[in-house]
Amino acid sequence: MSFRERLQAWRYNLIPDHLVGEILTKRWTDNAIPFLVLVATVAAFGTSIPGFFKPFSLQESTRQLGEFSIVVTGLTVVMLGGGIDLSVGSIFALATFAAVSGFFIFELPVWAAFLMAIGTGIAFGALNGYLIGFRRLRAFLTTLVTFIIGRAVFDILVVNYGAAIQTSSASSDVWDFIGDGSIYRISIPVLTALALAIITHIALTRSRPGWHVLAVGGSRRSAHNAGIKVKQTVFMTYVYSGFCASLAGFLIACRLSGAGPGTGLNMEILALTAAVVGGNSLGGGRGSVVKGLMGAIIVLVMNNGLIRLGYGTGTNQMVIGLMLAIAVIIDIRWLKNRHKVLNEVYVAPVYLKMGETQSAVPGSASPYALNNAISKTDYIGLGALEGPEDVILDRDDHLYCGTRHGEIIRYFAPDYSRSEVFAHIGGFPLGLAFDRDGNLISCVGAMGLYSISPDREVKRLSAETRRSWTSVQDDARLRDPNDLDIAPDGRIYFTDSTKRYDAHDWALDSIENRATGRLLVYDPKTGETKTLLDGYRYMNGVCMAHDGKSLFFAESWACRVHRYWLEGPKAGTAECVIKDMPGYPDNINRASDGTYWMAWLGMRTPSFDLSLRHPGFRKRMTRRLPQDDWLFPNINTGGVVKFDETGRIIGTLGDLTGQSHPMVTSMREHKGHLFIGGILNNRVGRLRLEGADEGWTGPLSYWGERA
Amino acid sequence: MDTKKGFDLFILNQERIVLAITAVIFVVASFGLPGFLTPDNLVAVVRSVSVLGILALGMAVVIIGRGIDLSAVAVMAMSVAWYLQMLNAGWSEAGALALVLSGVILIGLVNGFLVAYAEVPAIFVTLASASFVFGYVRSQIITADAVPVPNGHWLQSLGAVQFLDVPVEVFIFATFALIVFLFLRFTKWGRYVYFAGDNPVAARNAGMPVRPMLVLRYTISAILSFIAGLLTAASLHSMNTRVVNSTLFYDIVLVAVIGGIGLSGGKGGVRNVLIGAALTGILLNTMTIIDIPLIYQNLIKSTILLAAIIIDGVLNPRDEQTAQQGDI
Amino acid sequence: MKKCLKMLLAAAMLSTGLAAPSLHAADDPNPAAYAAALKGKRVLLVPMAMGFDLAQGWSAILKREVDAFGGVFETRDPNWSVEAGAQAITEAISSETKPDVLIVMSPDLNSYSKLMKKAQAEGIYVVLVDNPANFKADAYVGGDWTQLGRLEAEAVVKGCGPNSSKKIGLVQGDQVNATSLYQYAGIMEVLEKKYPDFKVVAKPDSNWDATTSRNVTTTMLQQTPDICGIIDFWDGDATGAAAAIREAGKQDSVFLVTTGGGEKTADCDKIADGTYGAVVMTELAQETHNMVAIIKYLLQSGQKPGTASPLIYTLMKATTKENLRPDSCWDLKALQADAEGK
Repeated sequence: MSFRERLQAWRYNLIPDHLVGEILTKRWTDNAIPFLVLVATVAAFGTSIPGFFKPFSLQESTRQLGEFSIVVTGLTVVMLGGGIDLSVGSIFALATFAAVSGFFIFELPVWAAFLMAIGTGIAFGALNGYLIGFRRLRAFLTTLVTFIIGRAVFDILVVNYGAAIQTSSASSDVWDFIGDGSIYRISIPVLTALALAIITHIALTRSRPGWHVLAVGGSRRSAHNAGIKVKQTVFMTYVYSGFCASLAGFLIACRLSGAGPGTGLNMEILALTAAVVGGNSLGGGRGSVVKGLMGAIIVLVMNNGLIRLGYGTGTNQMVIGLMLAIAVIIDIRWLKNRHKVLNEVYVAPVYLKMGETQSAVPGSASPYALNNAISKTDYIGLGALEGPEDVILDRDDHLYCGTRHGEIIRYFAPDYSRSEVFAHIGGFPLGLAFDRDGNLISCVGAMGLYSISPDREVKRLSAETRRSWTSVQDDARLRDPNDLDIAPDGRIYFTDSTKRYDAHDWALDSIENRATGRLLVYDPKTGETKTLLDGYRYMNGVCMAHDGKSLFFAESWACRVHRYWLEGPKAGTAECVIKDMPGYPDNINRASDGTYWMAWLGMRTPSFDLSLRHPGFRKRMTRRLPQDDWLFPNINTGGVVKFDETGRIIGTLGDLTGQSHPMVTSMREHKGHLFIGGILNNRVGRLRLEGADEGWTGPLSYWGERA
Repeated sequence: MDTKKGFDLFILNQERIVLAITAVIFVVASFGLPGFLTPDNLVAVVRSVSVLGILALGMAVVIIGRGIDLSAVAVMAMSVAWYLQMLNAGWSEAGALALVLSGVILIGLVNGFLVAYAEVPAIFVTLASASFVFGYVRSQIITADAVPVPNGHWLQSLGAVQFLDVPVEVFIFATFALIVFLFLRFTKWGRYVYFAGDNPVAARNAGMPVRPMLVLRYTISAILSFIAGLLTAASLHSMNTRVVNSTLFYDIVLVAVIGGIGLSGGKGGVRNVLIGAALTGILLNTMTIIDIPLIYQNLIKSTILLAAIIIDGVLNPRDEQTAQQGDI
Repeated sequence: MKKCLKMLLAAAMLSTGLAAPSLHAADDPNPAAYAAALKGKRVLLVPMAMGFDLAQGWSAILKREVDAFGGVFETRDPNWSVEAGAQAITEAISSETKPDVLIVMSPDLNSYSKLMKKAQAEGIYVVLVDNPANFKADAYVGGDWTQLGRLEAEAVVKGCGPNSSKKIGLVQGDQVNATSLYQYAGIMEVLEKKYPDFKVVAKPDSNWDATTSRNVTTTMLQQTPDICGIIDFWDGDATGAAAAIREAGKQDSVFLVTTGGGEKTADCDKIADGTYGAVVMTELAQETHNMVAIIKYLLQSGQKPGTASPLIYTLMKATTKENLRPDSCWDLKALQADAEGK
């Protein structure tokens, strides 16, 4: 290895470039900008205000923050649901008045005053919700009007009952504790705000009503068409906002023990600013409670900090205006360009030096020498099929294959001219296998492992495995389940080709060439899926050895076949049995003579092999060139390879015309015929195998005579 | 725009409902309130809403183009405050006016640019610019909340100008209403405002200069705000910047929207602004004549507004399938 | 009032003087005691906003005085927001650099009461200024708003004269502020008791906004064309009422009375040009010096905050064109220039 290549290998294989892309796919990176602003704000004011971080100072000065963030949390929920609530200031004021009047005028106990405040807020919120949710009025205009109404009612109440409140002598320890107390140096409003934020966050992200809110905000029409009760959902968001505003109102009532004409004035603008600075989008669909909280902290720290530092009227507004503009512009540009950035940085190629291979040139003496053996086959479903990745035959000789349209098609024996849709899956069925009871098990691209019973009932077996501790990306999800086979004990061994790309982006995975393929096992007894092996370059076909004690699996981009031992002294380990093939292996299946068939989805080319030694080149290629101009692995010529238990290559079948079966992804032997499928082909080919066992079938080989 | 609707006079929409309410109040007040139906009082009604009306005209142009301009009040108050401050500091009339006018146009351009080219939602852009304009002028340029008009300045005399016993503000309001009407109705770009408001993507695909038009609309709104501010200063002989913290913005939006201009854009015109202004003016005038305290006036006003939008909601319910996403 | 203060001060000095063990004729110990008691003390002013004449006047004079005795003077500008004001007070109480004297202009009777009690509990003297509140402050310095209303009523009656229509309009502030409510009470008391033949024909609210004031005054003038006098509750919005009168061409027949802090451009200039008939003015300089005196007293008294709550009302008088003198008003610009010069 030259020094240059060694350098490349270190640079690209040791520095985890791919994490950048993976981090960027995380939803929480949305929060990066508001979070940075938050840190900068707190740091700036924390250092310029003496004693800012003193526990006592923080405990006292964060009371208002607690109340304010409660209001912002409510507003965030409304905004997530696609609405807006300008009336929060009025609700806040009315709730404050309700609490204060209940406590001081009617001299009720604190809990009754609390209920009065919350009741007021919920009633007001329900009015908003009824008008906007059920009557379908426009949120902005409606809450604008209810805001004015609420304010007017509040002013009237304060005028008429203000004196009575002021002259009352009611007092209560509970009331004072809520207003002035703290637990572990954290004031009650902050505790309440935190509790509310956590509950709201969990409700939004982990509960059905929360999902409904997000769905309605994301696309009201789609939510409606999906059967979500849009009106009720919208109604509830306003009730919730009313509840939050009144909760905050109650807290300030306890803190100030009074309500004046200025209570809650201009709060709506401040709350809206906070929600927006935090990164919640207006019109719904994007945002979170955390964003709302961050916005609330930024706005209030800024606001109070500037006042605290003695800056005059206006400085505040100027800074907040600038900050809002910058935050929103960055946020919008980021949102708009994020996928572009992601496209640019996501593909992070690694260095690989492919081994020297034997020739596949026709006529060369190598066992890989290609020929024209599969250029003439009997076509099944020519033109009617699209993308039969895998083919399989049952005991009654019927042929099954998946299609790009998300269906499994059955062709009827004996002439395979008649067909029907056997089952509709929804995803692209790839690998297929029959279990002992005749259920058809399939790896469905990007979805998981599915089982289709003989009477066509589709059932999901597995869609996830255990998440590994060190992964940034959620590798519990199966992104590209590819092929499977079933052990005699019924356990299903299957591959997940890559953790980094969805099934349809397999070509990107080939360019990146990162080893993220996995071998998994699904245990039908427990219903659990476990990861057995990890770190292979596009793990593809799986085939149980004839004795059922080991299995073969293909590692496509490394052009290797490995054997994984289920039993015996090497149980749980894998060893490479074939390496440096001239083609990229795909599915592997049993042959009637005790050997194995392996499909080649394409052939190595010197140019692509060379590019694998130049990760920098591939990286530049994906960034600078349109996808049409990229250098891909050659998938225009494939073939079928036969090998035995020891990994010795017996022979190769090819299609030099490139017309019948240029790319082969699977083949099945059945009663003296070989059925050939290709993921990019529009037919299944049937080839007569001279001298093969006419009675041998897959189900017989696996499960014996019909029980 | 929709000829079919034009012929069917019995379809009630928000505009007609508000018009009907206005008419009812007008008739009741005419009979019930002595001194209401006098020329002087009617002039006073129009006059009381003329500044609001001019602001609402600018807002209407923006709203029809599917936007909103929260910075109108800030631009109105702060531009004039800055102007007066310069005059008080001894600037020449032309210099001060030129500087302020370019400042106002700059704000409009920045608003429009950020909405059109940076694609930031209008409500955020203008919320931010309102805050910034107020903050910058208040903290860096002027020292007190209120700035007086210098003695002997033409603004002082403008407030007293009358033609045919009608104060000049009324004429100015009428003139701008006419100009905006002509612009929206008969100029190519005016018609484009509707198309761009109705379906910006389609308008852009059809080859209209959607983005430059957006910038134009915010600039128009800013200039109208400045003119409204000048009128305010002319009549009060000072400009109190506290108005930025008041609910004036909501009043502007209500005047623009209550008459039937949809916040989702593409609908309405100057007529709707006039109806909205008429309702507001008559309501306030009658309530002041009856001597209802302000806080009750607010309650009555907002309740009537609520009734209007509820009736509209009942008569013209929105449909889940046709509602626009993000239309708040 | 002044007398009382002087006595207090004298008492304070006497007590410190007595405490001094030895007295050298050539070496007066009092300045040292004074400096020791006042040096480095923090005075914090939290008005409703800093952007109007009163607050700026107070702060200019206070700054000069506090700087002079070696204290630290600070202001906070809540810009008319009650919550921001409450927060400013809260942070002041809990901050490391706690003020020794907190001067608060309360937006209403109740909003800050609890906070101010807290401040006293933390050992901070609280002085209420201009707006009364439902709270036992260490002093209230400012106007007697009822008395102010009485003066306004007297002024308007005088301005209307005995041969007028005797119809008066009020442009109130709002229905919530103590200042507005007490003014109204004072006006009505005088009118009912002393001048029962004067009638209030309308009493709309301006919400402290000049445009609203203009609109309601216009309507008032139309409804009652023969109105002889109008009282607008604040010079901040009385420009609106004045505009309405001017526009109706009734400058000569309608006598406008208002109240304000006695700033030159806001009040005296307008009396001079006839915009206002009379302005009941608070003498700002005197009011601020009252504050200064009480601050000095409190800081030397050693008493616990909340011990006593004296009312120190500022002298008010109605200024008209007749009794307008060059020194009737104070000039904000001059004061600020003065403060900056130092």
